[in-house]
Amino acid sequence: MNTLVLASSFTDVKPGLIIWTWITFIVVLFILKRVAWGPLLKSVEDREKNIINAIESAKRERSEAEKLLGEQKSAVAQARQEAAEQVRKTQADLEKFREDLMGKARKEADDLKAEARRTIEEERVKAVADIKAQAVQLSLQVAEKLIAEKLDDAKHQALAQQFVTDLSRKPPSA
Amino acid sequence: MKRVWTLVVAATTLTVLALPAFASSGGHDEAGHGDAHGQPKDKASESSEFILHHVADDTEFEFELPFVHLPPIHIAELFGKEPGQGLFIEREPGACTRPVEKSQEAFASIFKFMNGCWDLRPTKAVLSMWIAMGLLALILFLGRSRDQNGVPRGVFANIVETLLLFVRDEIAIANIGKEEGPKYTPYLASVFFFVMCTNYLGLIPGFFTATGVLGVTIALSIVTFIMTQVAGIRSAGVVGFFAHLFGDVPTWMKPLMFLVEFLGLFTKPFALLVRLFANMLAGHMVLFFILSLIFVVHLGAAVVSVPLATGLYLLELFVALLQAYIFTLLTALFIGQGVALGHHHHPEGGDAHH
Repeated sequence: MNTLVLASSFTDVKPGLIIWTWITFIVVLFILKRVAWGPLLKSVEDREKNIINAIESAKRERSEAEKLLGEQKSAVAQARQEAAEQVRKTQADLEKFREDLMGKARKEADDLKAEARRTIEEERVKAVADIKAQAVQLSLQVAEKLIAEKLDDAKHQALAQQFVTDLSRKPPSA
Repeated sequence: MKRVWTLVVAATTLTVLALPAFASSGGHDEAGHGDAHGQPKDKASESSEFILHHVADDTEFEFELPFVHLPPIHIAELFGKEPGQGLFIEREPGACTRPVEKSQEAFASIFKFMNGCWDLRPTKAVLSMWIAMGLLALILFLGRSRDQNGVPRGVFANIVETLLLFVRDEIAIANIGKEEGPKYTPYLASVFFFVMCTNYLGLIPGFFTATGVLGVTIALSIVTFIMTQVAGIRSAGVVGFFAHLFGDVPTWMKPLMFLVEFLGLFTKPFALLVRLFANMLAGHMVLFFILSLIFVVHLGAAVVSVPLATGLYLLELFVALLQAYIFTLLTALFIGQGVALGHHHHPEGGDAHH
C-alpha cells in the first residue's frame, strides 16, 4: 500500500512541470539557436564552403597549370621546329646565294676571259694587218731602195702586195 | 587499456559515492508522499522508499553527499509556500489540501489540476533541468575557442562541434532531406543537447534525472508532436495534410484508415515519451536496487553488487547518450515523414520515401 502510493509518484504528471519544461526548453531553444547553433553552423558551413572552394580552385589551377604547361611545351616544340626550319632555310638560302655568287663570278670571269680573248684577237688581227701594211711599206721602201729609182708605183705595189699576200697564205712556220 | 581502467575506477568511485546517500535517507521530510507514520520499517521497504524518493519528482531537492547532510533546497517553496501564494494557485478553495480520490491516485496532480489546484511551482525536476542547462551553457562557453580558420580548438569545442555536425548530417539531413534538414537542425540540436545534458546530470551522484520524470518527457513529446504536425501542414498544406490521413485506399476503407492514421499521430510521440522516461527511470532504479542489496541482504553483497553496479553505471553512460540520440532521431524521422507529405502529392516529388 505504502509502496503503491510511492509508485504512483512516477505516474504522477504535474501540469506545472510540463509548463516549466516547455518554458525551459523553449528558452534554451531560442538562446541556443541564436547564440550557439546559428554561429556554429554558419562557421561550419563557411568552412565547408571554403574547403570546397579551395579544392575546386586547386583543381582548376592545376588543370590550368597543366594546360599552360602543355601550351608551353607545344610552344617550345614549335619554336624549336621553327628554328630548325629557319636554320635549314638559311642554309639553303646561303647555299643558293653562294652558288649564285659563284655562278655570277664564274660567268663574269668567263665574260672577262672571252672579252680579253676577243680583244686579243682583234688586237692580233689589227697587229697582223698593221704588220702586213708595214711589211708592204717596208718591203716597198726596201725594194725602192734596192732597185733604186722609179719603178712604176702601181705595178710594183701590186706585185709587192701579191707577194705579201702569198707570204701570209703560207704558214709562217713552214 | 589504461583508459579503460581509468574509466572503470572512475565509475566505481562514482557508484560508491552514491552509497552513503542511503544513510541519509531517513532524514527526508515526508511531505511529498503520505508515509505511514509510526510503523516500524524494515530495511527492504526503507531502501525501496529511498530509491523511489530518489527517482521521483519532488518539491524539494536535497544534494545527497556522503557523510554530509546538506539542507534541502525547497525549490517549490521559493515560488509559493501555501496554496494561493505565488505560483501555487488555488482556483477552488481547498482543492490543494483535499486529498484526491483513490481511483485518481495514479494521476493525482492532473486531477488536482482539474479540480482547481494549479500548482505551477518549479520542482526538483525543473531545478535539475536548469542545472543541466547551466552545465550545457558552461560546456558551450568552454567550447567556443576557434582558430582563425574557424576550426575548433580544445576538447569541448571539438565535442560540441562533433555532436552538432552529427545531429545535422546523420539525424537532420539523413531523415528530413538536404533542403529541409538544415532548417530543423537548430531545433533537433537543442532537443539532443537538452536530453543529453539532463540525462548526464542524473548520472552524477547526488543529482536528479529530470528525463526520468513523466512530466518532462510528456512536455518534450508534445513539442515534438507540434513540430511534426507543423512540418506536415507546412509541407503539404492543410488540405493535403488531412487528405493524407485518409490514405490512398478504396473509399469504404477510408474511415478505418483515418482511425489508424489519426491514432498513429499520437502513438508515435507517446512511444517516444515512454521510451525516454522508462529508460532513464529504470536504469537508475536498477542501479540503486543492486546497491541496496548491500544494506538489505548482507554487507558482503558488496562484492557482487558494486562491480555489477559499476558495469550498469558504464552502461548508463552509454544509454544516456543513446536515448538522447534515439529521441532526436525519432523526432527527425517524424518531421521527415511530415515533410515528405508535401512531396508525396507531387507526381515528380523527388525524395519521398514511401
